[in-house]
Amino acid sequence: MNKINILFFATMRDHIGEKRISIDVPGNIQVQELKTILADRYPNAAGALEATLVSINREYAFAEDVIPDGAEVAMFPHVSGG
Amino acid sequence: MTEFPTIFSITEAELDLNELLKQITLPSTGAACFFTGMVRGETHRDGLPPQTEYLEYEAYAPMAEAKMKQVAAEIRERWPTVEGIALVQRIGRLYPLTPTVLIACTAPHRDTGVFEAARYGIDRLKEIVPIWKKEIGPGGETWVEGKYTPKPEE
Repeated sequence: MNKINILFFATMRDHIGEKRISIDVPGNIQVQELKTILADRYPNAAGALEATLVSINREYAFAEDVIPDGAEVAMFPHVSGG
Repeated sequence: MTEFPTIFSITEAELDLNELLKQITLPSTGAACFFTGMVRGETHRDGLPPQTEYLEYEAYAPMAEAKMKQVAAEIRERWPTVEGIALVQRIGRLYPLTPTVLIACTAPHRDTGVFEAARYGIDRLKEIVPIWKKEIGPGGETWVEGKYTPKPEE
């Protein structure tokens, strides 16, 4: 079992209804697999989870990237600073 | 070799442009280019009321500061004559006329890229630095979403 901490920002926080969660997953899963797990848990957020940007340990991450044990994952929409 | 100052921060405090200029000015500096953006109180667009009451900014601060540091490194790679660099984003509830962001670059002379470097800095901040804003106006709340999808190694 791996533990993953997930932060949600902006519209993703609104969709999920939480700022941060911690979940146990079976070993080293990929970003795409994590999205599927979350879509099962938060069915109303399934569409948003498809489109979300993802970071692992504060670097952008993509569908096939592997999430290490204890990682800090974040999910958020396209950025709009300035 | 002189260590050139690089300032990057997410802050809730008012932006002090004079103080930031001091921090990126060296004895060899002869030029500074500042870009600052502010909350626009009126925007004319189809079918929507023009007024903005305020913007609510948030950031994923540790990643945002890491990405600002990366943007500063990209500026140094492209414009080696740039001396000081400052990238600062203010977050929280910000009202019209208020500066929200500052990108500033200094160099010995104006003609070796400081204008382009500051422009590059604000463009990259809007692409890859994890900051978001929500507009609050008479019609309610609307999240502003960017369009850029970062690529691997960004």
